Amino acid sequence: MADKKEAKTEQTGARGKDLLSYACAFGGWLLPGLGHALLKMWGRAAVTFAVVGVLVLAGVSLRGNIFASTGPDAFSTLGYLADLGAGSFYFAARSLDTRPPDVSKAAGDYGTRFLATAGILNLLCALHAYEAARGRKA
Amino acid sequence: MVLTHIQAMLLFAAVASAIFAVITHKGWKEQIKYALWCFFLFLLVGVAVGWAMYPISR
Repeated sequence: MADKKEAKTEQTGARGKDLLSYACAFGGWLLPGLGHALLKMWGRAAVTFAVVGVLVLAGVSLRGNIFASTGPDAFSTLGYLADLGAGSFYFAARSLDTRPPDVSKAAGDYGTRFLATAGILNLLCALHAYEAARGRKA
Repeated sequence: MVLTHIQAMLLFAAVASAIFAVITHKGWKEQIKYALWCFFLFLLVGVAVGWAMYPISR
């Protein structure tokens, strides 16, 4: 009887951990830093939010290319996937970006790279939050 | 906004180092130490690659 109760408690605990880890991964992707904030890792959350925010702002200010899902080739699709990694910041960047991208100058090219970097770093942080929630990292 | 090449490299090195430090190290002292080390290496490698490409730049 006691064993059954213990096993049920363990199962519920494991399910809760699973839910939390998925919430951290999805939340971390959606809003940079949210995954760590859910785990009360405030410093990491703040750094992630600031870094992704600065990169997206710099990318938009430099008139980088924000890729859309309707790209004509594989490179555009890869660029879109990288940009989309920034979660809500990607959509914010699209609405902020009123001028067309200018990749004829080095600045615009840097902007494109900064936007992609923001997405990739955010995905890395979301993955870290997921792993931390599962107890594999801290 | 206009950034020179070196400013863009500094910005990239700073943000990438900060993220690498916070996700790979525990404790703020360790994180700052690693971030500075990472930042230094980014700059060193960037400048080294720049000079390595100099002979084929013209």
